[in-house]
Amino acid sequence: MSTSLYRQIKNIWASGFQRYAKQMATMGDAKAGTLVGVDDYGNEFYETEDPDEIHLRTRWVEYKDSKTWDISQIEPGWHYWLGYGTNIPPNKVSGEEKTVRGYESPKIHSPNLTGTSGAYVPYNTAKPKFQSWEPFVSNRAS
Amino acid sequence: MVATLRAFKSNKLPTNHPLPSQDNKPRSSLEYALTSLDAVTNWARRSSFWPVTFGLACCAVEMMHVSTPRYDQDRLGIIFRATPRQSDIMIVAGTLTNKMAPALRKVYDQMADPKWVISMGSCANGGGYYHYSYSVVRGCDRIVPVDVYVPGCPPTAEALMYGIFRLQKKIQNNKTTRLWYRQ
Repeated sequence: MSTSLYRQIKNIWASGFQRYAKQMATMGDAKAGTLVGVDDYGNEFYETEDPDEIHLRTRWVEYKDSKTWDISQIEPGWHYWLGYGTNIPPNKVSGEEKTVRGYESPKIHSPNLTGTSGAYVPYNTAKPKFQSWEPFVSNRAS
Repeated sequence: MVATLRAFKSNKLPTNHPLPSQDNKPRSSLEYALTSLDAVTNWARRSSFWPVTFGLACCAVEMMHVSTPRYDQDRLGIIFRATPRQSDIMIVAGTLTNKMAPALRKVYDQMADPKWVISMGSCANGGGYYHYSYSVVRGCDRIVPVDVYVPGCPPTAEALMYGIFRLQKKIQNNKTTRLWYRQ
């Protein structure tokens, strides 16, 4: 995914081999840039101004959980910033710029728990509208 | 009444029993070896993710977006195959009609084991907009077993990619040799 070998080597040199191995395992690319912020969970968000980088690949996250990482571990504000929805990262938003919602938003961001024991399991509380047919043969007379 | 309700709601009742499939602790040294073997197998299966294209409707356009340079599925080792014989995963993208259902099942049966299915879009998930139509199957899970349901009408390319990552996680948690050994 690198545009040049020079960029790749430059980024490996900047980040070090240990971090490069972690980046290759999660992103599959060598990246180097400035740390923009860290969210409550511990995910680190980076940005670079390097002209060698491909357009729209200048912002990335390095997950705290580098084995079972998932995009749902990221808070909505950071997710919006990662997708280039805004240039102001959520830790720089202040005062009136903060979003006020009509409903209460959760205090702690919860990731997608599908596939774990905490997964949402639906169940039906309504009475079924039909019963299955149970075949029954009555005894013949005589 | 209140007291009994409180007793019922108390945390003293053990409700969090793990399923046999959730019991991940290796019991012997051989099981440790099999755990690594499973991890390698699952890594190989997850990293050569070859779906058969079952594009039925507008969802197929979003599926094509995943293959084009912006989302670039090739960097993840995902290659669309035109034949079910060479593929592991089927992405059912779009409305499954009654007329198409036998063909879908035939394509699924022709795929080599192990095989997985992603149901993409509300039409494939449960009929969607055409749920009350006389000629549409109300969900492709009536025809084939589905692993991952991607909601949306149509789901964005990002949503499909997230579904793909979810399925890769599911593949990674397979315990093929360990379950065979425990039998």
